[in-house]
Amino acid sequence: MNPLLEQFLSESREFSQGIGEKLMQLEDAPTDQGLINELFRLVHTLKGNSGLFTFPEMTRVLHAGEDLLGLVRNGQIAYSRELADRLLDAMDFVMAMCADIEATEQIDASRAQDSARMAASLKALMPTAPIAAQVPAVKPPRIPSALPAELPPLAEVPESTRMQALRQCHQGETLHWICYLPVKDCFFQGDDPLFSARQTPGLLWGSARPSEPLPPLAELDTYRCMLEFHLLTTAPLEELNEHFRYVPDQVEIVRVDPKWLSLTEERPEESSADIAQAGPVIAHGDAGEGNPLFASQKEAAEPIDESSRERAAALDAILSAQQQILMLDDRPDWGAGRLKAVGAVLLNIARAAGVQETASELEAVLAECLATGQNSLLLLWLEDSKQHLIANYVTQAGPPASTPSKPDAKPSNRPAEAAAAEAGTDKPPAAEEGIKFGRRAEDSVTGSRILKVDQAKIDRLMNLIGELVVSKNALPYLAQRAEAHFGVRELSREIKGEYSVINRIADEMQDAIMQVRMMAVSFVFQRFPRLVRDISRKLGKEVQLVLEGEQTEADKNIIESLADPLIHIVRNSLDHGLETPEVRRACGKRETGTLTIRAAQEADRVVIEITDDGKGIDPAIIKRKAYEKGLIDEAALERIDDREAVNLIFAAGLSTAEVISDLSGRGVGMDVVRSAVEKINGTVVIESELGKGTKIRISLPLSMAVTQVMIVESDGQLFGVPMDNVVETVRVPRSSLRAIKQSLTAVLRGRIVPLKPLNALLGISATPRTNSDDELAVLLVQAGGEVLGLLVDGFKETIGLIQKPLGGFLSGLSAYSGSALMGDGSVLMILNIREIV
Amino acid sequence: MPIEFKRNRAVFHDVVSVEEAEGLLEWLQKKPSAKVDLASCSHLHTANLQVLMTARPHISSWPEIPELRAWLETSLNPKVHPS
Repeated sequence: MNPLLEQFLSESREFSQGIGEKLMQLEDAPTDQGLINELFRLVHTLKGNSGLFTFPEMTRVLHAGEDLLGLVRNGQIAYSRELADRLLDAMDFVMAMCADIEATEQIDASRAQDSARMAASLKALMPTAPIAAQVPAVKPPRIPSALPAELPPLAEVPESTRMQALRQCHQGETLHWICYLPVKDCFFQGDDPLFSARQTPGLLWGSARPSEPLPPLAELDTYRCMLEFHLLTTAPLEELNEHFRYVPDQVEIVRVDPKWLSLTEERPEESSADIAQAGPVIAHGDAGEGNPLFASQKEAAEPIDESSRERAAALDAILSAQQQILMLDDRPDWGAGRLKAVGAVLLNIARAAGVQETASELEAVLAECLATGQNSLLLLWLEDSKQHLIANYVTQAGPPASTPSKPDAKPSNRPAEAAAAEAGTDKPPAAEEGIKFGRRAEDSVTGSRILKVDQAKIDRLMNLIGELVVSKNALPYLAQRAEAHFGVRELSREIKGEYSVINRIADEMQDAIMQVRMMAVSFVFQRFPRLVRDISRKLGKEVQLVLEGEQTEADKNIIESLADPLIHIVRNSLDHGLETPEVRRACGKRETGTLTIRAAQEADRVVIEITDDGKGIDPAIIKRKAYEKGLIDEAALERIDDREAVNLIFAAGLSTAEVISDLSGRGVGMDVVRSAVEKINGTVVIESELGKGTKIRISLPLSMAVTQVMIVESDGQLFGVPMDNVVETVRVPRSSLRAIKQSLTAVLRGRIVPLKPLNALLGISATPRTNSDDELAVLLVQAGGEVLGLLVDGFKETIGLIQKPLGGFLSGLSAYSGSALMGDGSVLMILNIREIV
Repeated sequence: MPIEFKRNRAVFHDVVSVEEAEGLLEWLQKKPSAKVDLASCSHLHTANLQVLMTARPHISSWPEIPELRAWLETSLNPKVHPS
């Protein structure tokens, strides 16, 4: 149950109790204005609260109570004991509904009628009921099956529909006739009565007709509902109450006796003697006497007036069919099922005949037959009891003695098999009650396919899987030890075999948990249409936003941390990138600028491109600004190319806009974007063509849970370098190193690469070691668009691991991005390359 | 537009809401001999039905949805309602 509903329930209980107390106090001091005000406030609040949920039954009663108390408060009616009684009743009713809600989170549909009555009884106390004027008097619900004073106008219903209704009746469904008279001003309440009527469950037929003479076309008031609806449905009463729960006082539901269907306009008392004529009216030429369907309809239509002879004949036919079935001497696999079916038919007949002892006798016989697989016992029993059954059936369910039986009634000669088949299909629910071989209702319960899980639980699962991944890495070490230390090569191989199995499962688990955490980028994208619309309106620009690849998925954390950078970029594009319509027209572009945000997955990364067709970025201006701000020196000013220059906008403190607006231009935008993206191991690159537009490309990992790390050794210590930074590993002979000023360099693949010893960067005094060929290990890394070589002592393997951020005092060490636990239990420090170089 | 008013024919499309009723009434008042095409109508608000029931224009084609067609035929067909 949601917290809001819980709160509502506890408050409602409190309020109801308070209302009760106040009413009691009023008994002693009926003129205490303070008490009345308090009472009104309580009911008013409770009504308002109930309106938050879809509990129309509760709101209706409370609304009536509120109206009533409003009159009392204004002195229009005096407090009376009767008033208190009704209000207390109403509060009891509200409490009962609260109990419903607590149990099932909804109000039982059957309350709708009570609610309408309760509200009406409260309104009845008002001298001039303000609302009652529009609402037709609430009629008490008709008692089903009793003959109503006026029969529903079933003659309106076309014959074919009536036939269908009869057929469905015959299959055990109940028919209801609904007269739905919407209130005149229902259009103003947002109601569409025709829509409600069309949505009625189990609808067989419906029509709209004027509830009052329609005025001439010239005088028609379109906003006044002048129609009423007549519906014929097969839905059960509860479903109909549920469907019309908002308008229980506007509908009248009458249970339709199947025989009314054949009577059309005549009154049943008058026509009961002529019922034989009603049959042919329904059949209307197409159904012959031999047609079993017709015969069964006839049976349904004339349950009371059928002659006993005909009834006896029909039952005899059914019983004979059962006999024939039992006499079949084939032994199919489904023999037991057939036997059960016969048993069910006979049981139903016995019940219908009202012979309880025969029924229990039959059950015993049936059980024995089922146990032995022999039909003979049942057959014998049937032969013995047949006449007994028929005799009882005719007297038990036969017509009342006062009704004369028709001497000229034709005996039914329908084929026995058809009758048997019908008897079998007629009463499946009853059969299931009798013998429990039907499917149970619980079998077909299907739950929701979606689980809502607290993110903390998923995170915990992910951490556990992370630890599993780490501890599985211990197995290769163990294998190594088994071989090197204990000299058991066999065991070592087996451990390796087991390791590969665990490795595969762990990988799959990791993959599965990643899938769980995946989220579509549409989560971030969905805010852009509004944002772009608002900003472009503010700036007086015409912008068309195109979103692509919204279904691309990535880890939840990635998606969430993407939101802010994207908003910055979009704002920048709108403010600096796209021009006003006048400027665009002058440049020969379309007046409406286009901003495209495209997401796509590339290998194990998500790429998001924000493209605009605006004025682009002028590299010359950027260079000049960067030089002015001291971000680059003169040499760099000469050296860097346009592409690099454009990417300078990601440097801190650079703003190209001449005017600082409230949207952008303070020079904090793009470097914030870069740091936000880099925090989640992403990269951001900008491409721009002056006058054509700008494209910003953000590349993010799909998931940040597992980092691929290369392990390097330096001065006997191991360090991890994220694979994202690693360009390549090379061995360089010491002789080919060149010293330029104080720094070492080497020429690799035709480029001069600066080299830095890792030891020096980390403040270790040792010098890099060389291998036996006097070569140095160089790890080429990429940091901030530059490539440089780290001199290390040696390279180790690449592993996937879960990085843990450094905590406590260590969190101040910017040289490391985190630490991780290795399979052998040691701690590996992960270098933050960008910080140390 | 849920209702497309042609020269002498109103064509209903999809769901015709309560807001259309006023316009439909005015149009039908001006054109007593107009025809109404309901073929591609999937629902019409009661207010519109009421207008059609009062004006009784010639229905040139009934809705393609059989259920709606049945509703409208029984409601608009004077044979069923002699009133």
